[in-house]
Amino acid sequence: MHKWTAQVKKGVLSFIVLNILQENEYYGYELIEEVKKNTDIEIAEGTLYPLLNRLKKEELVSSKWVEQESGIPRKYYSLSEKGKINLQEMKEYWVNMSSSIQKLL
Amino acid sequence: MKNIELTSTTAQRIYKDYLKRVEKCLTILSKVDRQEMLMEINSHIFEGMQRFSDNNETDNLLTVLEKLGTPKEFLKPVIADKKIAQAVRTFNPKDVLQALLLNFKNGIIYSVFALLYLLLFVFVFFIAAKIIFPAKTGLFYLDDKFQAFGFIQNIDGMNDVLRFWFIPFVTLSAIIFYLLITLLLRFTKKK
Repeated sequence: MHKWTAQVKKGVLSFIVLNILQENEYYGYELIEEVKKNTDIEIAEGTLYPLLNRLKKEELVSSKWVEQESGIPRKYYSLSEKGKINLQEMKEYWVNMSSSIQKLL
Repeated sequence: MKNIELTSTTAQRIYKDYLKRVEKCLTILSKVDRQEMLMEINSHIFEGMQRFSDNNETDNLLTVLEKLGTPKEFLKPVIADKKIAQAVRTFNPKDVLQALLLNFKNGIIYSVFALLYLLLFVFVFFIAAKIIFPAKTGLFYLDDKFQAFGFIQNIDGMNDVLRFWFIPFVTLSAIIFYLLITLLLRFTKKK
């Protein structure tokens, strides 16, 4: 059971991140707070960075460094055009899949 | 990169040690990628520390780092990804080996590639055989018909057509084979 939930979480994490980014742009730490606020997923926070890295490589998100008064800049992520299209398709897929699973339960 | 200012020396030591561990995990990345990731982790620690209202600097730092996780664990996917990209670009056997080891668990395809690369040792074996048993190793023909390639016990009446060209031939084949599978790996990765 534990293994299964871990796999599901890992699988949907990118979907969750893209959904959060459609509203607003966020920097890493803030994004993690949003993930936690909106879902009960407990993750090692660090795992989010490789994930963001991958989403960036796949051109689903874009990022920019923004200088701060503290001298420690924040890296802001936002959904790219490609990401928006992709997310829409993911949502449709998600709805279809959850309704078919619902029938099985 | 600007370091986070910490007042307690214990906190400073913990912070520096953590960043060092992150950096160590990222040594295989290019300098730019490494710096980028390091800056992002640094920013995460800084932002995390800002969320606390009390002054228990060391405790707060430890909480932030604990939630962030062990660098070696959470950075694994980045490293595995970058390593493959590097390996297919440089054709360096060391990169290829590292990339395959890192990606071994990420899918059956990498196990197949590991096997293909292992096949390269057959060539090494042929070369060693030629040196130790020169007469019994070669490309053998009997009356213009192909009989065997490699190391065989019984060579009655057969003619080794390659002779001293055997080692250069095998070496060249090994190189071509290596280039082919690495190109194939590059192709798989691009899809």
